[in-house]
Amino acid sequence: MTANLELPVFTNNSEEELGGKWGMVIDQDICTGCQACVAACAMENNVPFVGEEDVAYGRGMHWIRVERLWEGLEGDYRDVKMTDYQPTMCQQCHNAPCEPVCPVYASVHSMSEDLNLQVYNRCVGTRYCANNCPYQVRTFNWRDYTDYREGNASHTINTANNDPSWSVLQNQLNPDVTVRRRGVMEKCTFCIQRIHKAEDKAKSEGREIEDGEFTTACAQACPANAITFGRLDDPETMVNKAAETSRGRHLLEEMGTLPRVTYLAGGA
Amino acid sequence: MSETITLLAIFEDMEPVSEGIDKLYELGLSDDEMNVISGIPVKNTILGRPSAITYVSRIGMFGALMGMALGIFLIYGIPYLYPLLVGGQAIFPVPQGIIITFEMTMLGLMGFSFIGMFVDSGFPSYTPKEYTPEISDGRIAVLFSCPGDDQKKFVDTLTKAGAISVVPTEARHL
Amino acid sequence: MASYAKPLARPHSEEEIEDPREHLMHDPLPRGKMNEMVMESMHETSWKFWVATGFLTVVVLVCIGYYWYYMIMNGLGVAGVNRPVFWGIFLVNVVFWIGISHAGTFISAILRVLKVESRRPFTRAAELMTTFGLVQAGLSVFMHMGRVWLTYWMFPIPNERMLWPDFHSPLMWDLMAITTYLLCSTMYLFLPLIPDLAMARDRTESGWLKPIYKILALGFRGTEGEWKNLTTAMNIFAFAIIPVMFSVHTIVSWDFAMASRPGWSSTVFGPYFVIGALHSGMAAVAIVLFLLRSTMKHYKYFIRPEHFDTIGMLMFMVSMAWAYFYFNDYIVPWYGGDVWDKLFQEWAEKGPMWYLWYIMLFCNIVVPWSILWNKKWRRTPWLLASAGLLINVGMWLERYIIIPAGLTINRMPFTWRIYTPGVEVWLTIGTFAFFLLLYMLASRVIPLIPVWEVQEGQEAHIIRKIGKAEISTLSDLE
Repeated sequence: MTANLELPVFTNNSEEELGGKWGMVIDQDICTGCQACVAACAMENNVPFVGEEDVAYGRGMHWIRVERLWEGLEGDYRDVKMTDYQPTMCQQCHNAPCEPVCPVYASVHSMSEDLNLQVYNRCVGTRYCANNCPYQVRTFNWRDYTDYREGNASHTINTANNDPSWSVLQNQLNPDVTVRRRGVMEKCTFCIQRIHKAEDKAKSEGREIEDGEFTTACAQACPANAITFGRLDDPETMVNKAAETSRGRHLLEEMGTLPRVTYLAGGA
Repeated sequence: MSETITLLAIFEDMEPVSEGIDKLYELGLSDDEMNVISGIPVKNTILGRPSAITYVSRIGMFGALMGMALGIFLIYGIPYLYPLLVGGQAIFPVPQGIIITFEMTMLGLMGFSFIGMFVDSGFPSYTPKEYTPEISDGRIAVLFSCPGDDQKKFVDTLTKAGAISVVPTEARHL
Repeated sequence: MASYAKPLARPHSEEEIEDPREHLMHDPLPRGKMNEMVMESMHETSWKFWVATGFLTVVVLVCIGYYWYYMIMNGLGVAGVNRPVFWGIFLVNVVFWIGISHAGTFISAILRVLKVESRRPFTRAAELMTTFGLVQAGLSVFMHMGRVWLTYWMFPIPNERMLWPDFHSPLMWDLMAITTYLLCSTMYLFLPLIPDLAMARDRTESGWLKPIYKILALGFRGTEGEWKNLTTAMNIFAFAIIPVMFSVHTIVSWDFAMASRPGWSSTVFGPYFVIGALHSGMAAVAIVLFLLRSTMKHYKYFIRPEHFDTIGMLMFMVSMAWAYFYFNDYIVPWYGGDVWDKLFQEWAEKGPMWYLWYIMLFCNIVVPWSILWNKKWRRTPWLLASAGLLINVGMWLERYIIIPAGLTINRMPFTWRIYTPGVEVWLTIGTFAFFLLLYMLASRVIPLIPVWEVQEGQEAHIIRKIGKAEISTLSDLE
């Protein structure tokens, strides 16, 4: 869509800060649109099942979505073709527009990891951050979707089956990730729980994290290896090498958000 | 020396009141010894009285400064205590500073003026006071104290000046 | 060559010669009589009043009491908001009610500063609209929050977690501004009310209202010192609350202007919203005055066609200002440039909700411009109130077009979705009912006409004869 613009950025940040720390490269030329990344992310991060009715109304809570759009609709039907699949998740913008608008500091920028943090227990649910996100990657817990406790069938289960034995679904939850209740915003965190686990392990062993030692759930699940994750400040990492090709571009670059996800497109 | 008594003279309109007050000055009363109570504010120059002193504006100005201090604390003190980076914006933002400082200054100005009015007038005060309900019905009353012996002289002078009634009053609950 | 005057084509008609005594300021009654009229209209209550109050109470209890509880317990999913329309009718109501509240301050502060004498009888009725409108706005703000039980986290109070709110956010400016405006507006309502409460205290012998009046009147008598303090404070408020009034709705508009949504980050939003607030507010004042005049005893003496004339002229001017600002907001994206801003405008005009756009333009421009130019029509209370009602519908739709209809589109077309309201409808009805209920209950407790201000004005107005005409003259008694 947009060219690689290289707009000047007038900030007080240093070159390295502008470069970023944790980043991702998504190769749209090899993405097959299989949505394994969506499923893996949902399992890893306790993303709730919302149910058919609510998803149809636009309340799906997937942190990553695979966008596909159609081009050429105004012409002959034979000219209509699909765009590249575009897996979209939180771009972890350096100048995130979702951050300054939260009234309670629930959406802040981590200076050590250069990620955008969503603090679930601080969120009061004004949803200004979601309105302000130009990529529309934030989701809101419209109901208690994950209340699998005995006797407290969640909304999804309730519509299907009032049987309290569905509380075994509790066991599917990832213990490393908070379960959010109604009224709280959430979004992709670049699997920060995995980042911290790897950092803790490396620190306890007295070494740096190696490239490829861990990766995000979506990158791990992708069968085509379309998603690469790693450190952007290290020139030797896979993700940095991938980001440097001429095919690379950012989404909505003209917004000046300085996202950390590079999309490769326009090749084969 | 006879004791002083308090008299309340009630007038219908502004013209007779100014005449009556003139006569009271002639009879030797000073500014402090009389008070004009009315149902609407009457300009002091119409009555020939000195301007009443009010501290409300000074209290209000002080309040504005307090408000400004609060505003500056909110917008610059908080990030100084707990700096958090949001959206690449400056930690000590200037435009937000103008907005919050303005709002808090205005709140301080108005809030302290309001309280200043209470403090300066001695509100709320539920002690007995000299008053008559005719005042809230639009009449103007002059409350003054004079030596008891001269009561008749005062009453006659004021009645000639146009007072509807001049009677001794005592403080009562409003 | 000597000049000569052409004879008139027709003689002066009766209507053209205005009798100054038609004006309230030239038709003085003894203050005692006016007090009695106001007290009587306050305390003589017909059964129809109680039926209406009872009905409104039921509506409020069901719509706000039950449905809000239901929404809190079940989450915002029962409302109509989704992605990308994260803000729906609740925010429309917030902006609408804050808009209504601006008219009160306009009349009691700006008209006082500009010494517009015809404001005298209805400043308090308008100021009550401000206070009660802000209550509804505050309720709507709380309603739209996901975790409303944690609202206190938005208040900058020292706490043991040592957490503070983020003043980078326009919502915090909103909080500061609306709190300032609500507090100052209530104080400004109370200040001129003190002498009237003293009057009510003097005229109430017994009953449960007597101690209330006694306490609230603060022991006010009307001495020189008390009046000086009171009028000084009132003057400070009148001047200071005007910039606060402008800043409040500007800050509310910045909730939208600071967002990076297409069509929202428009620099004209500040003054545009202020004028929009005045537009809907003045229209609401017309409705309220019509209702007061029709339902309250003796109010036909206080609220006369001349007051509707003033309100009507103000409505007319504000509607022209609104059209000016809206045209600004329309032509800039229409002209081209940013494809997304143009999309926003075209979506409003030709999208699935195009009919709302046309209704809005009809109500906001066609209705005032076709009715309010005519002096006779302006002086007709029911006509002005009907125009006011239509204008309010149009202004509510204007905010609907900006917020839910505008949020439908964004820069990621994959996420576009239409908004369908859920329980917001009930909660909106509840806020309207609550506003009316508060107003009706207030009319039983506080005198809605500032009688002392009316008398003050009447003292200052005289009729003097200049030549053959009787001319109304205003003296500067302040």
